[in-house]
Amino acid sequence: MNYFVGIDIGSTAIKAALVNEERQLVGLHVADSGSLFHKNAKTALQTLLERYSLQREQVRYLIATGYGRKLFKEADDSISEITANAIGAHEAGKAYGGVRTIINIGGQDSKAIQIDDQGTVINFAMNDKCAAGTGRFLDVAAANLDIDLEALGEYHFNGRAAPLSINSTCTVFAESEIIGLLANGHGKEEIVAGIHYSIAKRTLRLAKRVGIEDRVYFDGGPALNKGLVAALQDELQRELVVPAHPQTTTAFGAAILACNEWLADQAIGEQVT
Amino acid sequence: MAANPDTPLFNRTRQAREAEVMLNKLIDEFDDNPASMHYFYDLFRRLFIQGEKVAHPPGAQIGITCIQAPEELIRAVGAIPIRLCNGAYHYDQIGADLMPAKSCSLVKATLGRLHDHEQGVPRVGKLEAIINPSTCDQKKKAGVMMEELGYQVHDLEFPNVKESEPARIYWQRTVRELAVTLQRLTGRRVTRKNLNTAMARTRRAQMAFRALHNLRRKAPSLILGKDVFLITNAYFFDDLERWTSAVEALVAELKQRQQNGFNAAQKKAPRILFTGSPPVFPNLKLPLLIEEAGGVVVADETCSANRMLYDLPAVDEWRVNHMIDALADHYLKPCTCPIFTRNDDRRRRLLDLARDFAADGVVYQAFSGCQVYEMEQRSVARTLQEAGIPMLYVETDYSPDDMGQLSTRIEAFLESIKTRKRQARTQRA
Repeated sequence: MNYFVGIDIGSTAIKAALVNEERQLVGLHVADSGSLFHKNAKTALQTLLERYSLQREQVRYLIATGYGRKLFKEADDSISEITANAIGAHEAGKAYGGVRTIINIGGQDSKAIQIDDQGTVINFAMNDKCAAGTGRFLDVAAANLDIDLEALGEYHFNGRAAPLSINSTCTVFAESEIIGLLANGHGKEEIVAGIHYSIAKRTLRLAKRVGIEDRVYFDGGPALNKGLVAALQDELQRELVVPAHPQTTTAFGAAILACNEWLADQAIGEQVT
Repeated sequence: MAANPDTPLFNRTRQAREAEVMLNKLIDEFDDNPASMHYFYDLFRRLFIQGEKVAHPPGAQIGITCIQAPEELIRAVGAIPIRLCNGAYHYDQIGADLMPAKSCSLVKATLGRLHDHEQGVPRVGKLEAIINPSTCDQKKKAGVMMEELGYQVHDLEFPNVKESEPARIYWQRTVRELAVTLQRLTGRRVTRKNLNTAMARTRRAQMAFRALHNLRRKAPSLILGKDVFLITNAYFFDDLERWTSAVEALVAELKQRQQNGFNAAQKKAPRILFTGSPPVFPNLKLPLLIEEAGGVVVADETCSANRMLYDLPAVDEWRVNHMIDALADHYLKPCTCPIFTRNDDRRRRLLDLARDFAADGVVYQAFSGCQVYEMEQRSVARTLQEAGIPMLYVETDYSPDDMGQLSTRIEAFLESIKTRKRQARTQRA
């Protein structure tokens, strides 16, 4: 059996996806990026292969994506995370009847991508260098509020008052705004909901720039946060398609592309011989 | 005497390192650079890294802050125009002390470089005066600050509308007044003869640029955009005749290369038309990223290259007043700067360039804080979309910290162009 790997070396986490020749997802692995991108990416790949008792040779084609893509020389090719995300969401979205708009919130950026019925990128928008409205924003806020990142979703739904408004567009300013709200005796629940709405509003603006078409697929680590999903659905006024493993859509897309590239190479090889 | 004698040396070093990093990338990361490009590589190395001054024949040096200042008039009175628009992050940071931090990097850097002039303006030396066309708000106000720094500044009143007859008349009077000011500054009269000579010199440079520009229509490309931006950047300050001869030599070499079947880029490299805020060395990060990612910049619509050199003045009657009026028209009518109220011309020109140079996509750069470019982005995007040309809009500034993020966006843009072309081919087949 031939296998294909897509490895997404992001700012916060390394995600690896393994698919077979039928483009079916076989396995996934997620690890922290840390500061040694290259070493940790190699370890992540090793862990994934060991879990499925595979030899490196059985992986016929490997494509790297994400911020660290160019450092990973073991890959056969590299591709931008926007293209990889589009391919992954197009493939995973088929189960939901097909998707045309992708919203991705990552560790240090957020993107909105519009694709056609083939999964080709038509248009995309990305935040301009600032980390507001990204996963980093949630990290900082959770630390300020002294709660676990995973617990943010729960807090969102337990508020007794309306979500507070967080107006600062800068992560650093928002941090002092949150501290100010705490000092005024506001509940953590209302602050958490406010943070989610603030991210949702920024994301909506980004999505409007590329145009929102049905269905909207939401992925990236922060899509695991149910509170953020609820706020985004409220702002977009529509239901979102959130996949089972939102963190790994981009790695999955890279793996699909790896499979396609290998098959194309084989086809050319047959023509030549 | 500077308060701290170490400061100028430190400053030179820091901006020199910034320039060196960019210049090395522009040269070393590409194989087969044309031999004639070494004139320009060497020029930038000597001036920006080794701190030499540009050699010019004797004459008063007059700074200009925009392409709207008619350089032929300056040359007619025996003076030398030096375009001051600056591309260094180092000077942008100095300028941020003088202007609001959110202002345009180009204006801040231009002011920042003029700030420390105890030893003369870097690479230029003494400036007799600065001509500051009143185009965008930030340049207007920067002119006042230049005056406060001790420069002699001549505000060149520039209209914000170009279609109307009153605007045309107003601008012609402004340009005539500039001629008077220049005569007073230099003690030399503008005559039919010396203006004619000056116009012929500039025209020869423009014709050299046009020959280079037209060679870029060829697919696969003969020359990369990063080299063309370096060449047109050199026009800002280089000696006119030396510059022109160097471009003519390059054009001859490229024609020879064409005969030998040489290509500077892959056959399927996405062909990019560049528009928006002007790339000025060392801030060539966006053209560099495009070409590092396998694209090729085949044409541009920016005031640091094509818009500065392409259009020629048209004179009906060779008498000095008519010649000055014709020059004025030339500096107003074809201009596609976003400071004007309407800008149908800019959109038309982009469509023409995209067609003539077979561009697959447009990259639109807007410096953060340049409101007019930021605002026109939407109408330009709409026009291009209607014509089926994809556009990538990038808001950035002179700081290098968004290179990683920008490379992702540029690669994704080039990948989507390639996929679309592949789809179109399969559909046809």
